[in-house]
Parts: sequence; C-alpha cells; structure tokens
Amino acid sequence: MDVKYVNPFIEAFSIVMPQLGFSTAKKVGIGARKREIVSSGVVIVLGIIGEIRGNIVYVIDFESAKKIASTMMMGMPVPELDEMAQSALSELTNMLTANAATCFSNVGITADISTPTLLYGNNLTVKMSSEKVLSVKLEADSIPIEINISFENN
Amino acid sequence: MDKVRIVIVDDSAFSIAFIRNILEENGFEVVGEAGNLDEVKKVVEETKPNLVTMDMTLPGTDGLECTRAVHKIDKNIKVIVVSSMMDEEIIHQARENDVSAYVQKPVDADELVTAINRILATKELYEFLNREYFPVFKEGLLDSANRMTKTRLTFQEEYPFNKEHSSAGLTVIVGIIGKFSGRMLIDMSKETAHKLAAALLRRDSRNADEMMAALSEFANIISGNACSVLNRENKALGLRVAPPSIFYGEEVHISAPEFGTMSVVAETDFGEILLNAGFKRGE
Repeated sequence: MDVKYVNPFIEAFSIVMPQLGFSTAKKVGIGARKREIVSSGVVIVLGIIGEIRGNIVYVIDFESAKKIASTMMMGMPVPELDEMAQSALSELTNMLTANAATCFSNVGITADISTPTLLYGNNLTVKMSSEKVLSVKLEADSIPIEINISFENN
Repeated sequence: MDKVRIVIVDDSAFSIAFIRNILEENGFEVVGEAGNLDEVKKVVEETKPNLVTMDMTLPGTDGLECTRAVHKIDKNIKVIVVSSMMDEEIIHQARENDVSAYVQKPVDADELVTAINRILATKELYEFLNREYFPVFKEGLLDSANRMTKTRLTFQEEYPFNKEHSSAGLTVIVGIIGKFSGRMLIDMSKETAHKLAAALLRRDSRNADEMMAALSEFANIISGNACSVLNRENKALGLRVAPPSIFYGEEVHISAPEFGTMSVVAETDFGEILLNAGFKRGE
C-alpha cells in the first residue's frame, strides 16, 4: 500500500491534536503489519468509502485512553473509562478520520467515513478487512496512539 | 413539503429549456432564469430560491463568481453546478466555493433529481430512513440466514441500544456511508460463530481464517442487501458499505453509540445472534 494513503492521517493528527489541548503531536513510526491486531485496551473502527475503500482502526491501551480523554476534557480526572470518556475517544477518531478525508480530497481522492464503533477488552483481536495493513504509530504529549489502515486494492 | 423553488443559470436557451423540463416533470418549481452575473444577482434577489443550477461557462463571468454572488445574497441557497466541463480542478474549485453538488452535461434526469433530493430533503430523508431501516436490516439477516444456511430464525423483541453492551464473544462490524453514515454489527458467542460458519461453508471450517471469512461475507451480504433495498426505496440515500472487520477477545464491551441505533436478538439453530444497526443524522 502506497505511503500516500498514510500521510493524510499523519497530517490530520498534527492538525487535530493541538486543537484538543495536546502540546505535541508527532509520528513515531510506520510499518506494514499482519491482518490481525491483538491488544488490550480500546479499539475504534471506522469505515471509509469513496475512491478508496477500507477501514481505519485506532488502537489505544487503557491507560493512554484515559489520559487522552482527560486532556480532551480540560484535564478532568478520568479514573475509569466511563461513558463520557468513551464518547470523547469516539469523537476524537471521528475528527481525525474526517480531517484525513479532507486531506485526501485536497489531493483529489474523495472519501466519506462511517460512524465510529468503540470496543474495549483484554486480548482483543481485530481482524482487519484486507491482507495489507499499514500501521502508523503516533504520539500526542508522549501518549501512544496507533492507527491501522487497510484499503482494498491499493 | 412545499415545492422546491429553483433558478436556472445558463447561457444556452437549449440547456435552460432542457433543465426546466426535467425539473418541472419532477415536481420542482422553476422560478427564474439567468445568463450572466447581473441577471443572477437580480433574479436570485427577487425570487429567493431554495436552489440554483449553475453553468460554469458564462459570458463575462463564470459559475464560481456567480455562486459567490448567490451566497452573498443568502448563504443558505444551495448551488448545483451543471456543466459540460468536469475535471478535478473544477470540482476542487467548486467545493471551495460551497457548491453542493456537481452534475455533468448532458444532464441525466435521474442524476440531477437525485442530487437535488440529496441536498434538500435532509430532514425528511433522515426521518424516512429512521422509520424504514431496521425492518430492512432484520429482513436482510432473516433472508441471508435462510438462503445461505437453509435455516429459519425468529426475532425477539427489538429495542434501542443506548448503553454499553457486552459482546457475547465475536463481533463483525460494517461501516455504512452515504447521505447518512452509520454502522451495522452482528454479535454472537464463539460457539455460535463456529456453528454458523460451518453452516455457511456446509462443512466445519478448517481454520479460524476460513471461519472469519465466512462470517465477514455473511455480514457483508446482510448489510449490502439491506442498503440496496433502502437505496431502491429512495435513491438519494446513496448508502454503501465498508468491508467488514471482526473483533473478539476477553470481556469485550461495545460502547453505546452517539446516535440512535436499534438492536434485536435473533434465535437461530446456531444460537443467538444480535443484530444492531443505526444511522447518524448529518450535520
């Protein structure tokens, strides 16, 4: 899969995170990975359809998820991943993916996104929709977030 | 709903007559015509239409300048560019100028009418979708199970899904995009997943990959068929499905969505299958 399909997500991350109260937002690494992702924590999936078709899966461990939700809620303590925190994280991925879709349209690739679905659990396995998955590791204020991108026929 | 009032901007008498015909045949009211910038300002100011169809090449001006003039009068007036020219640059510029849709000449009646409905009928369309979608998805599950596994299922009572939900074991999620975005998921125990996959494959699955491929395709067919039925009922919905993703693990929870969704448990020969689907009202 071409790296040009990844840049919009990195760009979106660097645009959106500062708006939500994070002082730094950076890319840590990119790599190809297998179709199955195992993690303990939060995963959020969104579909993307247009000139590209596939899924975006955000993977965040429990502690990081709580920290992100706390920053998004003006530093309010988030001891548990409650409904409010889950809602903040869903909205975060919605903003990131919608921004990425806008970045895609700026380079002539149109794409719309579905609503996010958030799941959490232990040893949570995600089977992505296609064989080729690119994984982008990002950090906002040293909190890790992983974006897994799988597009068909790219 | 009151008739939608439309102004046609074009410098060709033929095109104006052609577009007028399509619009009037489809229940829209053409309240004015314009062929240059001054006429656009005058007609739009006087008639305050809901929507303007906009040619791109106009004498002494262009569709983008005229679109800006329309929005200066009232930014709520929707503009659809109707032009023979269509390339990335023009579409990009049209988007930058808040054009709502783009239809290429020669104008296809269906395409134009669908574009107008999609732009204007948001509220009515959402109400329509909200009323219609769940029975259609249930029918999709019932029908797919029936055709693909030759078994019958019965539904328990449906209910709104508005709090966190524990996964029974394995969840298949399909994102939906179109005039409104949404999602469908099916959730079942691992045992049910194995039995269902075996019925779909007509033999035991050889490995986990094969089982999950069968379940993916099952979810893809349910959601794809349901969206096709809804699109046939109203073309403006333009629903399309993303490829399915599968999730499983220990004590997996599915969070309450930010929008209204409906759930129902289907009792099948393989065990219980939860079906959940919903759409978000657009901005």
